[in-house]
Parts: sequence; structure tokens; C-alpha cells
Amino acid sequence: MKIPIRMISIATSFFWFFLIVFYVSAVYSMKDVQFGFEEPQTMLTSRNQMLFCLPIKIDNKGYYNIGSFNVTTKISDKEGFPITQGSTFIPVIERGRQTTVTHNVTINIDDLFQNSQDYLFNDMELEVHETVGMKLAEVIPIQASTNFSMPWGAPLYNFTLGEIEYAICNLTHVTVTIPISFENHAFFNLTGSLRMCMYNSTSVLIGEGQTRIEAPQNTFYQEHVELTVPSIGITEDGYLEVYFSTPFFNSGPAVIPYD
Amino acid sequence: MTEEKKDSKRKQHIISKLLKATIKAVIFYGIYFVLSMFLTPISEIVPSFQQTVELFVMVYISLMIIGELTRGTVFQHFFNTAKVFFVMLYLIFSLKRGIINIPFQNISLMIDLRLFMAIAMLLSLLGLAKCMLQAINYLNEKAGEAHFSSL
Repeated sequence: MKIPIRMISIATSFFWFFLIVFYVSAVYSMKDVQFGFEEPQTMLTSRNQMLFCLPIKIDNKGYYNIGSFNVTTKISDKEGFPITQGSTFIPVIERGRQTTVTHNVTINIDDLFQNSQDYLFNDMELEVHETVGMKLAEVIPIQASTNFSMPWGAPLYNFTLGEIEYAICNLTHVTVTIPISFENHAFFNLTGSLRMCMYNSTSVLIGEGQTRIEAPQNTFYQEHVELTVPSIGITEDGYLEVYFSTPFFNSGPAVIPYD
Repeated sequence: MTEEKKDSKRKQHIISKLLKATIKAVIFYGIYFVLSMFLTPISEIVPSFQQTVELFVMVYISLMIIGELTRGTVFQHFFNTAKVFFVMLYLIFSLKRGIINIPFQNISLMIDLRLFMAIAMLLSLLGLAKCMLQAINYLNEKAGEAHFSSL
């Protein structure tokens, strides 16, 4: 019986030694793996989608390969409603190799503004949930995750209508001038058109006007829209429907009352 | 004269046991010391990590010394079994089902050690089986000795 006992002793000692040395060296070798997160870039794609690019440089100088490297970004609003999600996956990062990967996350601006006009008119904070996962030595899964907020700049921040001016055009019609102003806080230049429909107190469409918008990013925009309306249809109060049309998004109507 | 010889033999036996226990403890502590140097980065992230490992090493070495001192008696097997159970329970309680969550600044770090735990448990069970076989063998030998001395 002594021989089997000795064999079990040798086998268990060997496996314990191998197991501990392997795990300790795998964790220790992580100190030689360098992750470089470079400056993130924001751009617009040909499909008019907003694209976040985060170049990640991984220099694996450790003893083992890194397996199943993945980066996941989830962007949601303050209430936790998901806006977009992007993942980047590298099956194996071999030891002694340097790998650069670009982690992309796209946001369809048109869909975003269709869901809520808040993004169009109000600056806000978006919640970003970032997760980086990998398998040390292709065996030990580890994952690091963090939450942070990202500022969202509204393209039509503080959109306001000024005092409406009426000028007699002819015996039957009146020219209505509506001043508009906003600040473009978005990361892109805003170009497109603004269409305005004027309704009187009985919800009858009395006039329609259009103007071109050209607001570079971080600038204050001020312009006016002119409408020719029949003088018979004008009432003291009513409402305006505002439609925006740009290469990136189409939005509207935004209903604004007037008196 | 015979009593004196017996006494000196007993003393020698005890000294050799103590020596063996000391050498084993020193070797075990040496291995821990070397490995702990590699694990220093983890201690910086997890402050309680070193304390937990030190506690394990302390208890394990104590059981190892007691097991060595009681060598040749049935208590040796008790302590060896206790050592194996200690390792198993320590792994279960310290690794928390094998998934460890470590908050570090505003980052949440998760390490999945389920595979390590599974292998460690299997090896512990193998160690437990070895202890059982040793105990059976010891009792068998003792029974054999008693049988022959009664003849």
C-alpha cells in the first residue's frame, strides 16, 4: 500500500506546484502587458451616423498569450435607456506582439432625435458603461468595468422664437417675420433647412415659411423666417410647427405656441 | 544503562522530528516568500490579500509542524486530514465561489478563478484520499504488529 500512497503524494505535489506556478506567473506577467488608450475621435460616417473611434494599443510583453480580448461600450441616457452599443473582439494577442485595434461605437443621430427631442434642444450627460475583458494565458478570465458620463451637446440648444412682427404686404395678406435663435453645441456643423408652419387659434394652417441654417459648431445662430399669411386668418394666439431637415437628421414638428 | 540508552534514543528521535518539522516549515515559508514577491502588484490593488495569504500560510505551517511532530502516531493522520480540510475550506471561503470582484478606484475588477478552484478542489480530494489510505495503512500495520506480538 505504501507505493500507491507515495505515487499519490508525488502526483498531488506535482500538480499543486504546476497549478500555483502557472496561476502566479500568469497574473505576474500582466505587469508586462501595456494598454494604451489613445485620444478618442468623433466623426460622421457616410451614412450620417456619429462614430466614436477609440484606438487601443496592446503591447503583450508577458509570458503568455492573451485570449478573447474584448472591449464593450454601452451608452445610455440618464434613465438607463440604451442608446447604442459597440464591441471589439480580438481572439488572441500573441506574446511579444504589439497590436493596435480601433474600438468603434456608432450612434444613429436620426433615430436618436426621433426617440426624444431633448437631445435636439438640451445639453445633457450620457452614461457610458465601458467593459474590458480578456483571458490571461488564454485560461483565466478577467474583466474590468467602469461607468462614466459623457457630455452631449444639443445642436439646437436654447432654440427660441423672438417677438413676431407683422407687416402689411397687400390688401389681403400680411408678412409675418419670426426671429429664431439657437446655439449649436453639437460636435458637428449644422447645415440644412428650417420649415415653419403657422396655425391660428382654430388650428387652421395660415402660412408656411422656410429658411436655410448654417451654424458651425459652438456658434450662436440668429436668423428670421418670413411667412406670408392671409390677414383674415390671423388670430391673437396660435401655434407654430417647426421642422428641421439636415443631412444628419430630420426632425419635427416641434410645436411652439405664440400670442 | 538500558534506560539511559532508551532516553537518549527518544531524545534523538524528538530532535530529528523537530529538525524535520523546522526544515519543512522553512522550505514552505521560502516558497511562499518567493511567490509573494510575484504577487506584490495584487497586494497593492487588494489591501487584504496579503493578510489573507499570511493567515493561510501561518495555519498551514502550524498544522504541518504538528503533523510532523506527531509522526508515527495516529494523530499524524488526524492533523494531515485537518490540513487538507483547512485548504478546502479556505479556498471555498476566500475565493467566494471562484468569482472575485475587486473595486479599485472607480473600476470594478472581476477575476474568474472557478477553473483554479475546481482543480484545487480535485487535488485536495486526492490529498484527502491519500490521508485516508495512510490512516488505513497505519492501522493495518499496528494491527499486524499487535497480532504478531500476541503470538
